[in-house]
Amino acid sequence: MKLNTSGLESTAPFFGLSNELLDGFSAAPFFEVPNTTNFDGFQKEAIQMVKPAKGTTTLAFIFKEGVMVAADSRASMGGYISSQSVKKIIEINPYMLGTMAGGAADCQFWHRNLGIKCRLHELANKRRISVTGASKLLANILYSYRGMGLSVGTMIAGWDETGPGLYYVDSEGGRLKGTRFSVGSGSPYAYGVLDNGYRYDMSIEEAAELARRSIYHATFRDGASGGVASVYYVGPDGWKKLSGDDVGELHYKYYPVTPSTVEQEMVEVAGA
Amino acid sequence: MSIFEYNGSALIAMVGKNCFAIASDRRLGVQLQTIATDFQRIYKIHDRLFVGLSGLATDAQTLYQRLVFRHKLYQLREERDMKPDTFANLVSAILYEKRFGPYLTQPVIAGLGDEDKPFICTMDSIGAKELAKDFVVAGTASESLYGACESMFKPDMESEELFETVSQALLSSVDRDCLSGWGGHVYIVTPTEITERILKGRMD
Amino acid sequence: MECVFGLVGEGYAIVAADTSAVHSILVHKSNEDKIMVLDSHKLIAASGEPGDRVQFTEYIQKNVALYHFRNGIPLTTAAAANFTRGELATALRKNPYFVNILLAGYDKETGPSLYYIDYIATLHKVDKGAFGYGSYFSLATMDRHYHSRMSVEEAIELVDQCITEIRSRLVVAPPNFVIKIVDKDGAREYAWRETVKEAAVASA
Repeated sequence: MKLNTSGLESTAPFFGLSNELLDGFSAAPFFEVPNTTNFDGFQKEAIQMVKPAKGTTTLAFIFKEGVMVAADSRASMGGYISSQSVKKIIEINPYMLGTMAGGAADCQFWHRNLGIKCRLHELANKRRISVTGASKLLANILYSYRGMGLSVGTMIAGWDETGPGLYYVDSEGGRLKGTRFSVGSGSPYAYGVLDNGYRYDMSIEEAAELARRSIYHATFRDGASGGVASVYYVGPDGWKKLSGDDVGELHYKYYPVTPSTVEQEMVEVAGA
Repeated sequence: MSIFEYNGSALIAMVGKNCFAIASDRRLGVQLQTIATDFQRIYKIHDRLFVGLSGLATDAQTLYQRLVFRHKLYQLREERDMKPDTFANLVSAILYEKRFGPYLTQPVIAGLGDEDKPFICTMDSIGAKELAKDFVVAGTASESLYGACESMFKPDMESEELFETVSQALLSSVDRDCLSGWGGHVYIVTPTEITERILKGRMD
Repeated sequence: MECVFGLVGEGYAIVAADTSAVHSILVHKSNEDKIMVLDSHKLIAASGEPGDRVQFTEYIQKNVALYHFRNGIPLTTAAAANFTRGELATALRKNPYFVNILLAGYDKETGPSLYYIDYIATLHKVDKGAFGYGSYFSLATMDRHYHSRMSVEEAIELVDQCITEIRSRLVVAPPNFVIKIVDKDGAREYAWRETVKEAAVASA
């Protein structure tokens, strides 16, 4: 199947040149359309193919003082680490953050798009959009693209007139309100630490440390998570970046190296 | 996912002046899950001969046990240690034995031969030998290792410089690989001594 | 789904396992003990295909006992682990047993130890290990709170934390768990953690 695009060609003739030069260009250009019964399906496959970031650990939770948001910074393609410095916490506006898991381009684009919509809401209504509203805007957009291959797993965290807000939104069309979420391949590990250490009446410092530690343990066990553990806090005055610790250094801060023998049982037994 | 990437590994052997270095990462994983960070992939056959086995951990362990067994038989019969090139032939033969159901591992062999001449070699999982004068690499981080070694290798390095080069190459390479890293293990072998060092590395 | 995990503390090793016998969407039994007392000072916790699990662990148990009868000395934990690995590795290329094993033991000379052996026969000595879906939840919890000098009480509390985490986060979480311990006084059942009780039968 060939798609003829000759109709798009300019009909103006070339002046003064002999045909020899133009002979090669005279045929109407065309491109191969993939031989497929389901053209939309092909597009979906193609999107799946170029989908970059996959493994991730992100988390967010509400506590007494506001919302804590944290994430790693690794982008991987298969086994290859394509970046150790990805910004997975996206600043939608001064009072709202989004986290990024799944397709990097999808997340970046739709968060920026959400930022625009939130600002327009603000200009039209003379008040900031609620976290509930913003997350619903995003969820509705993602829902309208359902089945077309978008890959987004995000948490929208912020502070509005009702206080702290936290929603989980994904490209399957799901939207959940909650107080504690973790998204990405490292999330089960992060939950393990987070669930255990969580209390509602934590101080900001305690909460930040819990978030950081949860990300750290996830990066340790999950090969697809790593890089920098960044921690953001959203309070009544908007969000603030609290820290960005290199996990490589964090490990040796939590577990200082104690000189010890490296004897390996396997070697002993096998070699005996 | 390839079965060679199931556990994750990074291996490197490099030649210096009358010495060689062999190094590996320390991760044992099951796909993306890290099981342990004190795994051993480099084994000592005798004081001047080491073998590193990348790829599937279970086959690395099985193959190592068979290699030790065969080497011990050789020692009993010949009353001497095997030369590195002889050992490479042995590994190759053992691997090809399983041509139609291979050990899913890519070995790296490094040793000192006659007159302290360093010998390094690698082979594929069915025993096709590949000798090199400078360095050989294997494992899930092999692409990055090639790049790092290609740019950092210099001929005739002394043991200390060789250690530095190998360590830097290993650590920088595994930082670009999800499936290997979590520390490093380096052996520097000179005619007179074996130095074993554990490297601190990124634990993510 | 199956959850088996364990850890080594000061002078003891603890293993815990779920007790659900599941087939497709059906739970046949919720008090199936998946941790076998291998001999006086060894525990073998296994997960995997029900048939293979029972057959294989019993096979190991009987052979370890046979060795003891023949030679008058029991196998050490390390030896039993290597034997288990060997059997799994041999079977791997014939008709594999689909069983993942955590082998805990206590030896007079070396103290407590825990071995991780997966169904493809990767053997590794670990401080803490886990298999199945439960591993995603228990490993990080154990990483966070584990230290090598833990008392038994602390360790049991940690095991309980892991069970709580699995119960609250895993979709197909099993209701009941059994915890066993091995120390200088031998291998024994420590406790059950049940949320679903099966009707007691006089003879069962």
